[in-house]
Amino acid sequence: MFLAMMVWVGTMIFSFLLGTFLCFKVEKSGVKRWGATGRIFKYK
Amino acid sequence: MIWYILVFSFYVLFLIWANVKSLKKAESIDDYTTGGHRMGLLLGIGTTAATWVSVASVIGVPGYLYSSGVAAVIGWVAGWCFGGALIPIVAYKIRRPEKPARTFPEFIRHRFEPFQKKSTLQAIVGILMFIGYLLLVNIQVTGFGIVFSSITGIDYKIAIFGFLLFILITSVGGFWSVAATDTLNTILIMIGVLLASGVVWSLTGGIGNILDTLATTTAPTNVGGPELEEGILLSPFGTFGIGALASIFISNSLGTPSSPHWVTRMLAPQNVKVAILQVMGTILVLIFIMTPLIVIGLGAKVLVPSIPVDKTTDYIIPLVIQQYTPPIIGGITLVAICAAAISTANSMLLHCATSLYYDVYLNIAPKRISEKKFKNWLRLSIFGIATAAVLLAINPPWFLAMGFVYVYGGFGAAFFLVVFLGLYWKRMNRAGAYAGIIIGAVVYVAAKAMGYGLPFVIAVTASLIGVLLAVYFTKRPPLEAYEPYFEAEVSDSTRDVLAKMRSTTQEEPEAKNDRSHIG
Repeated sequence: MFLAMMVWVGTMIFSFLLGTFLCFKVEKSGVKRWGATGRIFKYK
Repeated sequence: MIWYILVFSFYVLFLIWANVKSLKKAESIDDYTTGGHRMGLLLGIGTTAATWVSVASVIGVPGYLYSSGVAAVIGWVAGWCFGGALIPIVAYKIRRPEKPARTFPEFIRHRFEPFQKKSTLQAIVGILMFIGYLLLVNIQVTGFGIVFSSITGIDYKIAIFGFLLFILITSVGGFWSVAATDTLNTILIMIGVLLASGVVWSLTGGIGNILDTLATTTAPTNVGGPELEEGILLSPFGTFGIGALASIFISNSLGTPSSPHWVTRMLAPQNVKVAILQVMGTILVLIFIMTPLIVIGLGAKVLVPSIPVDKTTDYIIPLVIQQYTPPIIGGITLVAICAAAISTANSMLLHCATSLYYDVYLNIAPKRISEKKFKNWLRLSIFGIATAAVLLAINPPWFLAMGFVYVYGGFGAAFFLVVFLGLYWKRMNRAGAYAGIIIGAVVYVAAKAMGYGLPFVIAVTASLIGVLLAVYFTKRPPLEAYEPYFEAEVSDSTRDVLAKMRSTTQEEPEAKNDRSHIG
């Protein structure tokens, strides 16, 4: 049970890390049309 | 019974209200297919979560938790979550163009056949999508029929026709209608499964008692069936074995980000960042849906050690809810399951009908049509496909959750390389796309038919070899094919080609840049 739940939790952590990295890349691009606003999780 | 009918009636009234309201928003073809690429974050999370949570999740997964144990968490819950984690990789690129594609096959055309007047690739993808979504809608109809017949007592074979009524209500307004209904459905599903899991938790005495029972029970899944091995329900591989579980996990995870409806979902948000945040938010919301489902699925083994011989494990949730939960909670939960079926089906029907009418018919026989005519034909197609799915569901061929694995595996085999290499490798060209899609689809079906354990892996490997050979033996793609996905500003020639592609099939709607964002 613990192992199964840890696999799920692991995929969720991976998801948030990857999403954050991609948001950072959008910010780094500076392209407003893609959602660059100056803050990593701000989108408009 | 009266509570079930009452909750159900409220749900139907809300659906009618929401859809009449959202009907006014569906103005252009862009609105109808992808919400005009203006979807905001909250509505995006609502619609994505509802599409994600289908009957395969709310009926199928608890069914497998009941019969195979915690391994179902790895195969489906974690598998889909990992697949969801990969979706932002697609979103990061596919939402970049100023005017993104309206449909998944159109994206394939933009990327690989920008100069073709009639795109064969777009039509092939449209046909494959049609087949896949017909099967997926069929699964939703089956789940709907199981629950609707449980609520009303009507025979399953008649109950499934009730599905058409809901599709008639929810599909009139196109994407906005689907999104609005989905957001309501997400809330309903969350409340329903949380309440039901609370009841199961209290009746079983909590997770400690559930795990104790799972560790020792040998009760067969069906009355009179073979006894289970002691402790198997707590084994990470369950009754599947490592090979079958790996196959389920891979199909669910790698099939998800390349499934056309998820790719299309990433075309709807107002920008790249919203698309990424939408997936992250959805995964957060799903914790509050999947955790209760795990409690219900595993707790069901304590409450109902074996199910009647004439029922499949897909019936375990309706059985537990009807026998053990108070009527009002049962009513909300069962309506929530119907909502899950409807919200996933209406989204898939929209993609299915659009691919058939827009990507196949209008692509092969290009003509300029009015937006009104477009929407009317699309509505007719949706209803026609829904009817076919209902007829196919009279004798359902598979378990709900496993049906999803097969179709997601097929989508992944056909489209995984084309989507990811198309978005991240400039050298990926038209010949590579043909090779990837055809080899992937054919090898997957053949490997599945021959009973190989990992058909997805075999198909993607064969597809990769085909893609690499095709790409390196043919010339590089033109700049106009890949530029929108790699550069912030595109050249004039690329802009012209994109504008020309849209005008070959549709009457271009007026520019709506001044409209405010919705959601």
